[in-house]
This record gives sequence, structure tokens and C-alpha cells, in this order.
Amino acid sequence: MTGSPDIKLSVRGLEKSYDRTPILERVELDVESGSFCTIVGASGCGKSTFLRMLLSQELPTRGEILLDGHALPDEPTPDRGIVFQKYSVFSHLTVSENLILASELERAPFAGRLFGVKRRQAREEISELLQRIGLSAAADKYPAQLSGGMQQRLAIAQALAKKPSILLLDEPFGALDPGIRLDMHELLLGLWNELGMTIFMVTHDIHEAFKLGTRLLVFDKIRHDPQVPEAYGATITYDLPLATPLTELTQGPEQIASAIGLPGQSDKTNTMTS
Amino acid sequence: MRIINRKPSRLTALALGLLPFVATIIGYAIASHYRRLDNPADKLLPSLESIGQAFWRMAAIPDRRSGDLLLWVDTFDSLWRLGTGMAVSTLLALSLGIAIGFIPHVRSALAPYLATFSLIPPITILPILFITFGLGEMAKIALIVIGTAPVMIRSTAQAVLDIPREMIIKAETLGASVWQMTVRLVIPQVLPKMITALRMGLVPAWIFLISAEAIASTTGLGYRIFLVRRYLAMDVILPYVVWITLLAFLLDRALLLLSRRSFQWHHLGSDAL
Amino acid sequence: MLKSFAKASLLAAALSLPLSVGSVQAEEKKDFKVCWSIYVGWMPWGYLQDSGLIKKWADKYDINVEIVQINDYVESINQYTAGEYDGCSMTNMDALSIPAGGGVETTALIVGDYSNGNDGIILKDKTELADIKGQSVNLVELSVSHYLLARALDTVDLSERDLTVINTSDADMIAAYATSDVTSVVTWNPLLSEIEAQPNATKVFDSAGIPGEIIDIMMVNTETLADNPAFGKALVGAWYELMGIMSSEGDEGVAARTAMAEASGTNLPGYDAQLATTKMFYTPAEAVAFTNAPELPSTMKFVAEFLFDKGILGEGAPSPEFVGVSFPDGSIYGDKNNVKLRFDPSFMQMAADGAL
Repeated sequence: MTGSPDIKLSVRGLEKSYDRTPILERVELDVESGSFCTIVGASGCGKSTFLRMLLSQELPTRGEILLDGHALPDEPTPDRGIVFQKYSVFSHLTVSENLILASELERAPFAGRLFGVKRRQAREEISELLQRIGLSAAADKYPAQLSGGMQQRLAIAQALAKKPSILLLDEPFGALDPGIRLDMHELLLGLWNELGMTIFMVTHDIHEAFKLGTRLLVFDKIRHDPQVPEAYGATITYDLPLATPLTELTQGPEQIASAIGLPGQSDKTNTMTS
Repeated sequence: MRIINRKPSRLTALALGLLPFVATIIGYAIASHYRRLDNPADKLLPSLESIGQAFWRMAAIPDRRSGDLLLWVDTFDSLWRLGTGMAVSTLLALSLGIAIGFIPHVRSALAPYLATFSLIPPITILPILFITFGLGEMAKIALIVIGTAPVMIRSTAQAVLDIPREMIIKAETLGASVWQMTVRLVIPQVLPKMITALRMGLVPAWIFLISAEAIASTTGLGYRIFLVRRYLAMDVILPYVVWITLLAFLLDRALLLLSRRSFQWHHLGSDAL
Repeated sequence: MLKSFAKASLLAAALSLPLSVGSVQAEEKKDFKVCWSIYVGWMPWGYLQDSGLIKKWADKYDINVEIVQINDYVESINQYTAGEYDGCSMTNMDALSIPAGGGVETTALIVGDYSNGNDGIILKDKTELADIKGQSVNLVELSVSHYLLARALDTVDLSERDLTVINTSDADMIAAYATSDVTSVVTWNPLLSEIEAQPNATKVFDSAGIPGEIIDIMMVNTETLADNPAFGKALVGAWYELMGIMSSEGDEGVAARTAMAEASGTNLPGYDAQLATTKMFYTPAEAVAFTNAPELPSTMKFVAEFLFDKGILGEGAPSPEFVGVSFPDGSIYGDKNNVKLRFDPSFMQMAADGAL
């Protein structure tokens, strides 16, 4: 449907309601391949719902989402990787087991598990990745034995195992300490530069959104009925290209934050330092 | 220091833990002593010595009629019934519990039925069990299974439902099939909870085992207790009760140990039981 | 340390005292309790309580007697043995093994009846007792059914080694018989007649074949009786007044038997059918004659040997003669220094003489 060849993902007339309560309405979007879209909005604005629809964890009530010009499948598939804020990795598997799982599933359709030489081989394949995410020493630890930052590094690495063309991140650093968050930003940006996938990242930290993204999507309600606050859903109210230096933007983090009622100042020092 | 902040040392804790047991034994010995002042052959509260003798007789002296060491024959047969029954229940819980917890259509079909079925007091359908399974081992095992499986299936299904949705989605994005998710995600996540369910299930299982053996049997711990009850042989019943309690306790600890050894990841957080 | 231990022991003793006061009391008292369980020959005990007959006789001797029904037969004997009751209805066999074997001196106060067909052996699809060889036999182990089986096997030169006994609860006997792996049962009425009514069932032996061996008796604590003759007199007086009523075909007799029938879960014809296989001693003279008869000691010898063979004749009994049983003529079976079961017809004799 969409003509342009470098459009990775298109959203057309998207609507989502729960029990006739609209959450999202009239969402229109075209995203170029290799973009890093950060998504912000007040809580309950439907930004996570939007991400879940990109993942096919939920299905639109109306409208369509096109990936490379084709309708999205009805359920999660390996072409879209996901990192959640919590429970992203498998608690019953060690770090290295978490990382080789994807290749085990691919190579052993019935057992879902590799043994002997093949297993050793799979472990060798991930040794470089372990090094990259700084978990070589913790290869045989369980996630519960890792810090929050280490768990999320593992989650990101695991989500990229199937080389997805789209990576979805749902407040991935929300529970992390500010210092750790900076490390994570570096890791994420490095991987993105290297692999060139398209990223959608939901965050509640507006500075993080400005810092990481090439494009900022702000979800908010534009129509209000004072009698029935739930009458209308949210849509994309701001769609800012961030490729240009911050100073040239007419709308900075503070303006966006105050426009949608987000705390804009809180994390400023931490995210702006790098 | 306030009493809530005072912690007993290891030795004190051990002594405190033993105290109620010792007190029970002393209390028993005294009560038994008083009863035997009235009637030296009192059967209700026999002396600790005659309890010991009876236990020795059951455990180490071959029975005059059969030549068997009754305690060990009874223990072996009872544990075999209990083990078989619980193995069947565990397999049912794993297969049905996972199907119900993981596949919405199966859940819709079976969950209401199972919820209803689990409310039937198993003892009330004993005659049906007899006619279906006969009076032999099958009926006893069936009673244990019917008494424990529904609850175990339900708690397994709940354990599957309790797996964070995020993990299942993540597995899907890693290209896992339903079968692969079952063997690599659902079963490993559910097994430790399964062991907890098994430990909880063992409590009613013992009750059903003893009841089943009381009804029609030729051996077993429950059989022996109900048999010698006919002549109020408390000197045999009391050590058997202690023995059953000990076996149940050891089984429970063994399962906990198994869980700690096999599912280290599950016990990393706070460990309640 | 020692002092505190002594204190603790005292405390424990004080706590356990209630356990011991319930036991045998050798002293004069006014309140008595006896217990019974449902069985054709014992239904009069319930009627005595309900009709007020026992109150009438207790008042006459200025005492109180309560007659309590207990739903489980073995439990009623255990309660009596533990000292909760002053008397209890039971068979001669259970009296020897449980209270007497447990050191509680017990006297047969009222010999009420003996089973004359109330206990029997039923085979499925077979018609001869000898066919029982090699079968599994379902019965309440160590009960009179077991004794009946042992006595029956004697008559066809078999022993328990020739078959397998499966302990089966009486409550489940009828359901058990309905299953295909049960081929023979030994049980008592009303279960016996219920199972016998099935098309493939044949009764191959019953207690009529060993008349006078399974005896149903009101057993009382020997010391209590010795210290309180009024207790014995009231029970015996009330019992034989009711026996007179019950055995009559008049309205009063029918009313009494109907009430007993209903209390045992059947109707008058059903209860009369059970009475037909029970030899009731309606007059004290009959009971006295039975107790004095020379057959009783040999019956008790059979019973003692059976109990000894099954290993249930008291703690570590070295021989069947371990527990002594005394008879009206002064003879004693077993250990003269350990007489725990006494057949004493003197109270029944008073009733026969009209001396109550």
C-alpha cells in the first residue's frame, strides 16, 4: 500500500478500545527503516498499548499496521524483538542458557535443547556477545543473582538473538539507577549503530527520549469531553524529528513535558551529562 | 532488650524446638504411670517400655503366622501405594494442569468440570470405586489419586497462569513453537511449584491411604492400625502413628531438598517453606 | 535444675490426672453408665433407656443408670476398657481379648443370647464350604466372623493357611461383595441376609453349626459390681422385665419389637427374622442354665486358643491359658492368679428367683 521503499512500518487509521472505551484513535504513522522512535506520554495514554500492538501481543480494534508493506501477523514473531521492564529473561535459565535458547529452539525443533558438541558450539558462539554485554563472568548465574542493569543487558542481547528488524522496548530502563541507565544508553546506541534495526522505545523519561531517539512521538488526548473524560482516546500529538541538534528545536524537553503534564526536570542532570 | 528482638542461639533454638516433644513424652509417661497404678495391664496408655517392645516385635521379630517382619512389610506396601498414587497424580497434574493453564480452549472445556469434581469428598464415592476398580490395589491407588489429583491439577494450572506473560511473549519472539515453549519454559517454570503441590498433596494422600487400607486390605500401616484397634493395642498403634509421622516428615523434607537441589533458581529469592 | 524438673513433673501429673480418674473406681457410687451398639440381641438396651424402664429400676435401688448407644462396636468396647463406662454389651470372645486381655476385670452380668445363624459364611457361585479352599475371604479380621471361619474350617479339615483373609470393614461389606474379585465373605446380620439375597450367593456355614459359641453378653466391671450390687440388680431387673414384654405376642410386645426394629433400621418382619437366628434367653432361668452348662468352659477354651493363635490375647501372652476365666462351678480355665473374666450367674439367679 505504501509506496516508498524505505518505509519500514506504517500505521493507518489505528484505533484501540477496551469494552468500548477508546484508548487510541486516529493514529497515522510512517517510520523509515533504521529509525529510533522514542515514545512518551502521560500514564494511561496508550503508549504501551501501541507498543503491544506493534508486537501483535494485542490486536487493533480498527485500522492496520503494515510491516514492509504487509499486514502484521496476528501473534508475536521473531522479526520483532522485545525487551520489557521486568520478566524479560527466563528466570530458570542461566545467563548463557538464556542466550543460546534461540539457537537451541531453531536447531532442535522437538527437544528444544542441544546436547554435547552442538551445545558447546552454541555456547562458543555467544562468548563474544557475553563479553560485549559484560556478562562473561556471570555466564553461569541465574537472572535473580544479577543486578537490574545486568538483567536488562541480558534481555537486550537475548531480544537481538533472532536478528529482528524491529526492536521494541517497553520502559526498559525504568527500574534502573541513573548511573546504570547511562551505561545502558551507550550499549543500546552502540548496538543500534551496528545492526541498524528500527527501534521503538516507550519511556517515561522525556530526557532519555530526546537523547536516544531520532524521532519523538508524543501520545496525548486532543479531544476532551469534561462530562465523560473517557469519551475519547489518545493519538500522536507531537511527531518531532530529533536528528538536528537540540538547540535548534522549537520544542525542547521542558516544553513537551509541560504540554503533556510530565515531570520534565527530574532526571535532567543524569541524562544530559553524556 | 524487647523480647521480639531477642534471638535464640543455635543451641537454644534446638533445645526450644525439642522442648514440646520432650514435654509430650514426659506427660505421657506420667499419665501412663498413673493409669497403670490402677491396672498394670492398662491398654489405653501402655508404658514406654512396652511400646518399645511392641515396636521391636513388629520391626525385628518375624510374625508367627506369616514369618514376615510386619513393620517393614506394612511400610513397604503403604509406601508403594502412596508412591504410585502420587506418581499418577503428579503425571495428571503435569499433563492436564499444563494443558488447562496454557491452552485457553482446554481451560474453557475442563476448568469448570475440574473445579466441580475436586469438591467431591472422595470417601463418599467409595462404593463406585470398588465396583470400578475392584477391592485390590487399584481401588486404593484410585482413592489416593482422586483425593489428590484435582487439587494438584488446579494448582499446576494456576502455576502456569502465574508465569509472567512477558516470558511467554519473549519465547514467541525467539521463534518457539507451543511444544518448545512447553518443554523449555512452562515445565521448568512449573516443576518447583509442582513439588510444592506434591508436598501439600501428601497430607491428604496419607489420610486417603490409611482410609483405603482400613477398608479392605491384608497389609499396610493403616491396615495394621485398624486391625489392632480391635483389641485396643495402643502399644502397637502409638509407635505406628509415630512411624507414619516420621515417614511423612522425611518425605516432605526429601522433596524440599530435591527442589532446592534441582531448582536452585526458584529458591534464590525469599524462601517461605 | 532438679527442683525445676520436679516442679515440671508435678505439673504434668496434675494435667494428666483427669486421664486417670476416669478409670476403674473401686468404691460405692450412685451414677453408672453402660454402653451398647446396634445388634439384634442388644436392641433392648436402647429400648430400656427410651421407655424409661431402666429409670424405674434404678430409682428402685436409688441409683442413676444411663444407657448410651455408641455407633461403633469396637469403639464401645474400647471405651469400656478405658474406664469410661461401667458396662458394655459385647461377645464372649471380645470380652476375653479386649478388657480381660487388657487387665480390666470383667464379669458377665447378663448372658443375653447366642448367635444361632446370625453369623455366616457366603460363597459366590460355589455351594460347598470345602470350595473355600484357595479363595480370598473378606471379613472383619479378628472378629467373631474370623472365629466362625476358623471353627468352620475345622469341620472340613482346612486351616487358615489354605486361604487368604482380607480384612474388610463391615460398613463396606455389601459393596465389596458386589465387586468381581470378592468371592467369599464372612459376616453377620443384617449384612448376612442382605448378601445372601443376591442370586449367586450361597450360605455354606453359619453359627447354627457351632451353637452357643458366639455369646452376646452385658459385661460389667467386676470391682464396680462387687462394690455396688444395686447396679447389677437394677440392670438385671430391668432387662428381664423387658424380656418378658418383648417375648409376648401381645400389643405391648409388638410395640417394643417394632421400636427396636426401627431403631436398628429395619421393620418388624425384618427384625423378627433376625431374632429367629438369634437364641434369645427371654427368661433368667434359661440364661442361668446356659451359664451353668458344662459346654461353656470348652467354648471359652476354643476362644482362648483362637485368640492366642492370632496373637491378640494380651501383651506377650505366653500361652492360651495366660488369662484366667472362672465359671459358676468354681472351675477356672487358664491362669488361676490372673482371672480377668468371670461368668457369675448370681444376679440372673436373683431374677429367676423373683428376688429383685
